[in-house]
Amino acid sequence: MKLTNGFDISATALTAQRLRMDIISSNIANAETTRGRLVDGHWVPYTRKMVVFEPKPTPSFNQLLRNNMRGTSGEGVKVARIIEDRSPFKQVYDPGHPDADENGYVLKPNVDILKEMVDMISATRSYEANVTALNATKGFITKALEIGK
Amino acid sequence: MSLLDNPGFRLLERSMDAAALRQKIIANNIANVDTPRFKRSEVRFEELLRRQSSNQKPLVGFRTDPRHFYIGGPADELPFPQVVSDEKSIMNNNLNNVDIDYEMAQMAANQLRYYVLVQEAGNEIRRMRTAIDGRR
Repeated sequence: MKLTNGFDISATALTAQRLRMDIISSNIANAETTRGRLVDGHWVPYTRKMVVFEPKPTPSFNQLLRNNMRGTSGEGVKVARIIEDRSPFKQVYDPGHPDADENGYVLKPNVDILKEMVDMISATRSYEANVTALNATKGFITKALEIGK
Repeated sequence: MSLLDNPGFRLLERSMDAAALRQKIIANNIANVDTPRFKRSEVRFEELLRRQSSNQKPLVGFRTDPRHFYIGGPADELPFPQVVSDEKSIMNNNLNNVDIDYEMAQMAANQLRYYVLVQEAGNEIRRMRTAIDGRR
């Protein structure tokens, strides 16, 4: 058994949750951005982004064999992709806006601040849980070094 | 004869292995708390141990030569910890079944168990050292 393997598992989760937090920050920062992308000469608003988590497996033959022989864990979590929210943009009537169309409507990003805030809390809590797990693993190793003292 | 190769110490070793493995499994469960379709795993060891120690060995091979294989004897005395994944239950909307509170509680309990085992292993070694030191 590698000594620091438990660290790696929790560390992958810390990385993933931090990236999730970055994406949420980006969504909140761009909640009013009307010029996200230029498509055919027209500005398209910022599209809400989401992370896709997936377990980080190493399903090699050796791994599967070892799973069955001795039992090993997975390798943590990874962000498989960052996807865009396909829900429609919000339409706001604001004729004075430079990006308003001929009827005076402006397309605003499909970011829902409430949803982002809830997601942010969830990400924070998951991050904290993983820090706790990491500290527990550290306690294990520290304690193991005391054997025979 | 090796000093610390008695059954009790080997049991301590194996239990510590199981606790360390369980810590990894729980860390992995917690890491995947937000992963859709992830199914949690857990380590079975104490239960296997109890089962093994409760029922008597039906057949133990009689060895007349040290090169003989063990049959139902010391070689396969202790069970190895097993990782089983819980595929049946559903906890969240995204088919993930990690209950973060349960995992944290299990982790705390497992940590205490590990500390006890480490202390016990230390005691064993200390006793041996006392014996080695003799009446000095």
